[in-house]
Amino acid sequence: MSNRLPAEDPLIRMQRDLKRALAKKPSDIKWGMVIDIARCIGCHACTIGCVAENKLPPGVVYRPVIEQEIGEYPDVRRRFLPHPCVQCQNPPCVKVCPVTATYSNEQGVVVVNYPRCIGCRYCLAACPYVARTSDFGEWYTDKTPELQGKVVGREATAKAYEARPATEYGEKWPERGHGSPVGNARKCHFCLHRLAVGMLPACVTTCVGKATYFGDRTDPQSLVFELIASPRVMRLKEELGTQPAVYYLE
Amino acid sequence: MNKNAFRILLGLGVIGLIAGSVGMWARLQYGHIPMAYGSYVPWGLWVAFDLIFLGLTAGAWIIILLTYGFGMKQFERLGPLAVLTLLVSLLCEGIIISLDLGQPMRVYRFLVTPSFTSMLTWLVVCITAMWIIYLSMFYFLLREKFAKANADAEADKGKYRAIVRILAFINIPVGFAFFTVQGAFFAVMMNRPLWSSALTPVVFMAAAFLSGGALVTAMAAIFDRDKAVVVPMGRIVLAILVAFLLLEAVQFFIGYQSNSPGTVAALNMIAFGPNWWVFWIGHLLIGSLVPLVLLLARPRDICSVAWACLLIVLTFLAVRYNAVVPDLAAYNLEGLDKAFVHPRLSQAYTPNLNEWLVSLWVVSLWVVVFLIGTRWLPVIPAEKGGEQHVA
Repeated sequence: MSNRLPAEDPLIRMQRDLKRALAKKPSDIKWGMVIDIARCIGCHACTIGCVAENKLPPGVVYRPVIEQEIGEYPDVRRRFLPHPCVQCQNPPCVKVCPVTATYSNEQGVVVVNYPRCIGCRYCLAACPYVARTSDFGEWYTDKTPELQGKVVGREATAKAYEARPATEYGEKWPERGHGSPVGNARKCHFCLHRLAVGMLPACVTTCVGKATYFGDRTDPQSLVFELIASPRVMRLKEELGTQPAVYYLE
Repeated sequence: MNKNAFRILLGLGVIGLIAGSVGMWARLQYGHIPMAYGSYVPWGLWVAFDLIFLGLTAGAWIIILLTYGFGMKQFERLGPLAVLTLLVSLLCEGIIISLDLGQPMRVYRFLVTPSFTSMLTWLVVCITAMWIIYLSMFYFLLREKFAKANADAEADKGKYRAIVRILAFINIPVGFAFFTVQGAFFAVMMNRPLWSSALTPVVFMAAAFLSGGALVTAMAAIFDRDKAVVVPMGRIVLAILVAFLLLEAVQFFIGYQSNSPGTVAALNMIAFGPNWWVFWIGHLLIGSLVPLVLLLARPRDICSVAWACLLIVLTFLAVRYNAVVPDLAAYNLEGLDKAFVHPRLSQAYTPNLNEWLVSLWVVSLWVVVFLIGTRWLPVIPAEKGGEQHVA
């Protein structure tokens, strides 16, 4: 048996980073995410974890994983690019919102105020990262047959799961129906409701390859602060000047 | 317009309203679920129609500018008719864009929590200003008409005309801002290869003047039938058509020369995509070449001018559709639509029957309200076929 102890699990370190960050004044925290593309195995666990955590309806996704083919046959490579909202520090979506429904909060996370959003989808068109989706009001149980009095009928399954609101933004939303977030723009918010209770975002804890890192990017002791200094680091569409808070390690 | 033509058009409008009500029912009952647009192509047919209605308002602006800005008094009597087209167009624009909103009941948010960094807020400000100016102008133009019919009220004529003149001068900069903001709305999106250009507001302005100018000219040819009015209007439309085609050519030339992948993809989608015929046949052949030939070959023939202008207006959906959809459908992130498969997460968009039916309902409403307006309001002189109105 080796005398060397295994390296600390990054989740343990990030949990410690999170605890330290939450002890700070909220306005002093600037959340950031680092995604190591070399470690992503394309399992889509983060996508599904996010869908489950935020109870996303059909057609709404906060963190798809893009599969990219690089090169030409026979010299081809394949890589996976997890793609959450990159939380721009100069967000084009905020500028175009006509009713100030979307804004960058004091911790640098771009959020949507659902009851204020009119559903014009201007932010969807203006986002260079196509990171927003609109909730068109669909249900997974739309085509489930109704079985009166049975627990597996459409009404019963919908009421048991889909109709119950998610805990996004830590708010108590009404049962899913015609009101918000139906008709609204929706996006990744770094699981602010989990952070508020000391939990890492769902995509971080569900990542099988430990490819996603999260923390306060202004904290010199944090893992993300360390990783952002890596020579492998890059940001998507940097030339646009949007200053994303999501970094990638190539 | 003779009574038979009026009845046929009104009948078509009513049939359109009845047929379109199926789509309206689907929209009001099921929200956005029965529609084809999604998150990656978030705007579709209704936004194209919205731009058409916004553009059609330019006709009244041109008439007011020519009459009061340039002192061309022969256009003065077109004022009420042109303003009616503007008001009906603004009404239909408001309806179709409200139907496109995810939460239309929250439009009051524009008043409560406006963001002045958004071009949409400025567009709403301009639309509101146009409503105020043109409703007031319409009221005083009609009062002037009634005053004309009443010998005792002759003294009021000058007062109403002075108010209209003041409103007309206010309207010139407001209208200019209104038509500029329509293009700026799209131009500020730096991620969109075709829209993100200083040329976009100019192209949108030219498009508005072309469609609006053509509509008012067609109306003048149908209702007024006076060569002194229709022929110069036809020449103006011809000039705007040539300018618009040149701007389009510049847009294509610079786009292809830049060789930027996004721009080339969007241009290819317009010219060689699955809907290539919309551009080549709808816009260039029927909507541009035929009107160009008619306006050049028979500029003094009222019937030819009317047909040329009607063809421009009727095919203008092709221009607006190509202004909206291809730039959204061009890839922003390769492979994204295969990352999480769902019809709402697709770069491909084709308007479905429900969207067409809702559009038909709104266009039919335009036709019906406009026709009833021409019959019940004194916008057409009695000697030109309008109704006699009691002062």
